[in-house]
Amino acid sequence: MKLASYRKKSPWILHYNAGGCNGCDIEILACLGPKYDIERFGMINTGNPKQSDILLVTGPVTKRSRERLVEIYAQMPEPKVVISCGACASTGGVFRGMYNCEGGIDQYIPVDVYVCGCGTRPEQIIDGVVQALGILEKKTKELEESVRLKKEAVNEGKQLNRRNIADEIKPLLS
Amino acid sequence: MAKQYEIPIGAQHISLLEPLHFKFTTENEKIVNTEANVFYVHRGIEQACVTKFKFRQVSFVVGRVCGLCSISHSTAYSQVAEKLLKIDIPIRAKYLRMLVIELDRIHSHLLCLSHVAENSGFEALFMKTMQYREFSMELLEAVCGNRIQYDFAIVGGVSRDLKPEVGQTILKRLKTFMPQLEEIVDIFKTNWTLSLKNKGAGIINKEMVYRLNAVGPFARAAGVPIDVRNETEDLLPWKEVGFEVVTETSGDVYARNLVRLKELYVSIRIIENIINGLPESALITETKAFPEGEATVRLEAPRGELFYYAKGNKTQVLERLKIKAPTFSNVAAMRAAFEGNEYASAPAIIASYDPCLSCTAR
Amino acid sequence: MKKIETTLENLKKDIGAFYKEDLHHFMVMNAVETGDKMEIQWFFSDYAHPCETTCFFAMITPDEEVPSIKDIVLSSWVAEAELVDLMNIKIENTQKGFVLEPDFETGPLRKNK
Repeated sequence: MKLASYRKKSPWILHYNAGGCNGCDIEILACLGPKYDIERFGMINTGNPKQSDILLVTGPVTKRSRERLVEIYAQMPEPKVVISCGACASTGGVFRGMYNCEGGIDQYIPVDVYVCGCGTRPEQIIDGVVQALGILEKKTKELEESVRLKKEAVNEGKQLNRRNIADEIKPLLS
Repeated sequence: MAKQYEIPIGAQHISLLEPLHFKFTTENEKIVNTEANVFYVHRGIEQACVTKFKFRQVSFVVGRVCGLCSISHSTAYSQVAEKLLKIDIPIRAKYLRMLVIELDRIHSHLLCLSHVAENSGFEALFMKTMQYREFSMELLEAVCGNRIQYDFAIVGGVSRDLKPEVGQTILKRLKTFMPQLEEIVDIFKTNWTLSLKNKGAGIINKEMVYRLNAVGPFARAAGVPIDVRNETEDLLPWKEVGFEVVTETSGDVYARNLVRLKELYVSIRIIENIINGLPESALITETKAFPEGEATVRLEAPRGELFYYAKGNKTQVLERLKIKAPTFSNVAAMRAAFEGNEYASAPAIIASYDPCLSCTAR
Repeated sequence: MKKIETTLENLKKDIGAFYKEDLHHFMVMNAVETGDKMEIQWFFSDYAHPCETTCFFAMITPDEEVPSIKDIVLSSWVAEAELVDLMNIKIENTQKGFVLEPDFETGPLRKNK
């Protein structure tokens, strides 16, 4: 089975609310519904960070949810893309400067796509997700590219083999 | 005694829209004890309202407390500020506020119902309910200019007028929604698979509701007629537009679904009455006074009673603002209703509470 | 809104005499700072029509311990735990850490900390 080829076309999304007002979350839910239907891009909402490729975060990061946010991000496998949904996830929005808010998720995890608006419209979320698909593909290519191919070819005279190296370091070890 | 296991749900879980953490102590799959951690999204809005923002700006800030019932928050704040300013608002503004609150209630209840269906494992009904819900979002956009976060109620009145053609569109769309609603009601009432997950799950009885001071559809499903629209009429004339209180008796997930579905009929009737008899007047009462004294306001949000307390000191900035959200009252009862249920039905029970944690935590 | 003044000693007696489970509905607790003193308020409403809001209030100094009404009104523990964290006051049998993180600077709603 060519798992990679399926994965390229159907990224799974993970949704986490880091302290927002629910507004963007219900718009994400509306995106999953029949009218906007992001399942046509092969996406489904999954609850498991270990199976997901795109992380949708809403809300300014509150003090209690920041550790969970970083933990979820760390559990996701590479390559991964982070989308911040809404004004308060991107910059802190109206909550910027409140005592229990951190003001934007990009202080804790790297963000690839910023979606604006309070609250974001489903069309904007779809636009952001489609942009994220491009980024995901680019990141996948970077990961898959072999590092060895980029290195310069070794001259024949200078070529080493394992036995020679072992002979060289033997006196050093003893 | 069998061995006890502790199983957590949350803070991030597929069945939760918001960060919410429940720790269940289970014995042979039956829940015997629950611990709740509901303050993941505490942001500190109350403090910002009395330090950073002037009292006229606060009605936009408190709308951001919750995206689902933002109109209830901004209306309740506007009412409490009008009490402090000692002004009365024009009659048309009152009717328009009621119109948007009821439209908001339709979208909120349909979202909750679709969520219950999804968490009970009925994906097709989730899709169907979400599809039928879109009309209310489009109507709210036509009336207020935004799908969520309406910023419609401001101190002294409302910010926008209702155009007659928009009113006609609302009536037309409600007519097409009626057969769709009948269809959903039929599925929720008679579907056998759904009833296995919903009937008899998460029961709370009348005595417990009184003892634990629950509010909203959660309390009405147990047969307690708590509804602020039924109790006060000094600020918004609910009885005039045909409000009736809806109750059920069994108090389980099924009863909560039915209460929400029946309330949709009441909301539709109220909206039709408002549009057909919308009085003509100005939209806003201008005043140059400053808030003084203290006042309280109660309002029925989609999830239950919303309570605002405000104290002014004759300056631009309020001295104290206290917000009590409906789910805040329900936390104690939510814990009690889990007892004796199977762990597998916990997601459906959580969805049927319709918890709004961004309201609770502020 | 009907306001009834009470003291910390008489609080349990007053609320116990007033509160009937099937008549009154406990809403929330609140605290307002007025100068050096602090006003603690308990809000009740009733199920009758038209309904009336009743508010019990007591003036305290911030380091006094407020008695808990958990044994009269079962659901009041949520409001009490919230007030302890946000206003940094002491309430009988109530721990810190329900609303804010345990290492948080205490009493964000207090004006003169």
